[in-house]
Amino acid sequence: MAKELRQIAIYGKGGIGKSTTTQNLTAALAENGKKVLVVGCDPKADSTRLILGGLAQRTVLDTLRDEGEDIDLSNIMKRGYRKVRCVESGGPEPGAGCAGRGIITSIGLLERLGAYTKDLDYVFYDVLGDVVCGGFAMPIREGKAKEIYIVASGEMMSLYAANNIAKGIQRYAKQGGVRLGGVICNSRNVDREPELLRAFAKELGTHLIHFIPRDNIVQHAEIKRKTVIEYKPDAEQAAEYRTLAKNIEQNKKFVIPKPMTPDRLEEILLEFGLLDELEDYAI
Amino acid sequence: MAAVSKRAAAGAAKSAGAAGTKTAVSKRAAARTARSAGASRTKAACPSQTNSIVHPRYGCTIGGAYTVAAIERGVPVVHCGPGCIDKQYFILCSDNGNQGVGYMGGGAIPSTNIGENEVVFGGAQKLDSLIDASLKIMDGDIYVVISGCSSALVGDDVESVTSPYQDAGLPLVYVDAPGFKGTNLTGHELVVKAIVDQFVGSYNGRKRKRLVNLWTVTPYFNTNWRGDLMELKRILEGVGFSVNVLFGVDSEGVSDWMNIPKAEFNILLSPWVGVDIVKHLELKYKQPWIHFPTIPIGEEATSAFLREVVSFAGADKGKAEIFIAKEAKQYYYFLEHFADFFSEYWFGLPSRFAVVSDSAYNIALSVFLADQIGLIPVKHIITDKPPEAFRGAIDGLYENLSEGVSSKVEFIEDGYLVEQSIKNADFGEGAPLILGTSWERNIARELGAIFLEVGTPAMEEIIINRSYIGYRGALSLIEHIYKPTVNVF
Repeated sequence: MAKELRQIAIYGKGGIGKSTTTQNLTAALAENGKKVLVVGCDPKADSTRLILGGLAQRTVLDTLRDEGEDIDLSNIMKRGYRKVRCVESGGPEPGAGCAGRGIITSIGLLERLGAYTKDLDYVFYDVLGDVVCGGFAMPIREGKAKEIYIVASGEMMSLYAANNIAKGIQRYAKQGGVRLGGVICNSRNVDREPELLRAFAKELGTHLIHFIPRDNIVQHAEIKRKTVIEYKPDAEQAAEYRTLAKNIEQNKKFVIPKPMTPDRLEEILLEFGLLDELEDYAI
Repeated sequence: MAAVSKRAAAGAAKSAGAAGTKTAVSKRAAARTARSAGASRTKAACPSQTNSIVHPRYGCTIGGAYTVAAIERGVPVVHCGPGCIDKQYFILCSDNGNQGVGYMGGGAIPSTNIGENEVVFGGAQKLDSLIDASLKIMDGDIYVVISGCSSALVGDDVESVTSPYQDAGLPLVYVDAPGFKGTNLTGHELVVKAIVDQFVGSYNGRKRKRLVNLWTVTPYFNTNWRGDLMELKRILEGVGFSVNVLFGVDSEGVSDWMNIPKAEFNILLSPWVGVDIVKHLELKYKQPWIHFPTIPIGEEATSAFLREVVSFAGADKGKAEIFIAKEAKQYYYFLEHFADFFSEYWFGLPSRFAVVSDSAYNIALSVFLADQIGLIPVKHIITDKPPEAFRGAIDGLYENLSEGVSSKVEFIEDGYLVEQSIKNADFGEGAPLILGTSWERNIARELGAIFLEVGTPAMEEIIINRSYIGYRGALSLIEHIYKPTVNVF
């Protein structure tokens, strides 16, 4: 039986740890024998650093700019840890051009060059921050990613962003087949974080697919340009990423999200986001 | 003009004297041309291409709408800013032989006329309502939604707007054709491939023997497309084929399109436009294709073309030869009578020529004039921006215009550079013949040339069913080339 390619887009507030989570997740899947392609959709082009062991990769758009359209897939796709295939879309210089259009162009080019081969199990799109324009929604258009995971933490702004992303997903979900697969919590050690995230996810109509605790080993591994899976395979944090990978592999719950009003979001924050107001005064 | 005609070239006079029979015309003139061609050279180096272009010679990708308009009861629906589709009308239709828009072109094309609101908030909703309204108001057999620059830049997911209509079984096709993707020729290929993929669909049935698909001049862009398609269909039918001509009055509209996969093979007459299409069909329907980069003009080339197609198909040669003989008899009957003029009116005829046009007509006209009329090729400027990958092969076509006659082709898009290049060419003492576009009118006047519009734009032409190719088109071409030599007032 031909295997079914799962295309997954990861969204979340800037700096929340999408790239770190995606790369540790893909490393765990690769460790399990899965064939994975990671497409970084961020002009900063830092979505594949840990898999590749550095920022050595030339982005699709840099290559297009320097060499024109007549390029080979091997110019833009590199293999990293356990043969995970990596592509960085890249983008124009900060403040110039149109990054959204850049993503449309580079995903179009990947298709034309035949990057989506039949042996792949997973394609991950690591998309920057919010879905600010149509270009950043390219990975969830018709025929692309059908599953989306939102990375969030217990911090208020991250939940605002996640709710906003859910609005974008809802819009596309109503037109086509894209669905929200769950919320991934990348913990910031805020009060009652798991409860808050569970409540938030439930309100969106989805579930918390995994709670990844905060652990400095992630930073250590990053400094070494590695995922935790590669850096310390027997670390507890590596096991957490493996659990996330397993949960995503087995996930059956795909929904059209129900984004909440700002008022409702604040209510949830009030209800779950505080241990005890008096603790503000604790020394 | 009279003074110009009187100063006409001695070289032409001599070769004109030999115009008694067709072999005499072509062979002797070819030898003369071969000797003289080496003598023509540029006088000074031309400045090089900058980022700016004067004198536009093609439309943008959204001009693919006119490929849809060329299909019987085809309705283009465009998603672009106000003015985009109107511009295409001028360059491809009215300022191009005043061709007329027929059933579904010009002001009839539904457009979203994207404004500030659609750029900021996305234009999907407006497009959706336009499609809905178009389906109700415009009575057509196929609707092709073509989206342009603005929606591509802001990332409208047009496919998600169009797919529900397709799912509902409506004859609707979507093409992503932002202007920055290329010219109207890019648009033409995108539209054709999209219709094949989304409307015609897959086919595993039997092929129909002797049924062929014809891919050649681009509708509207090539002003003579209607007449040229009719001539090609006529002669291919003459030698025993059924022809899916796909565009224009001789086509059966969408039923022709639905028959594309049933064809035995594809015939492509064009140096590069359409190569993508026939390759696509080869992959999709396992259809072989036969490629003629030079569209045949005149008896020799046209008969050779027909024989090659017949042999490729393994069709009945005897039947084909009967048709060819009849056509040849007619052709030379007319040419013989033309020869009276051609040999007697020697002092008014041009001997050296330049062609400024798209690739397809440029090579076809250059071969005919050098090989059959015996004129000396001086300048060939291709203005339709062929992709780099094809340029080497196009260069090669000019290396053998006739026996022992070679020339060089230039690829220029800017009107100033075209003028400079022509100005610097060596046309000898007589009046040159310049086949060009409206933009060459000034330089032609300056050089006292005999001038005929054969490329986009052609503002001073009225074209109804004219053809310059095949058997009959060649005679029409000769009429149009030589009429100005006697039109001295």
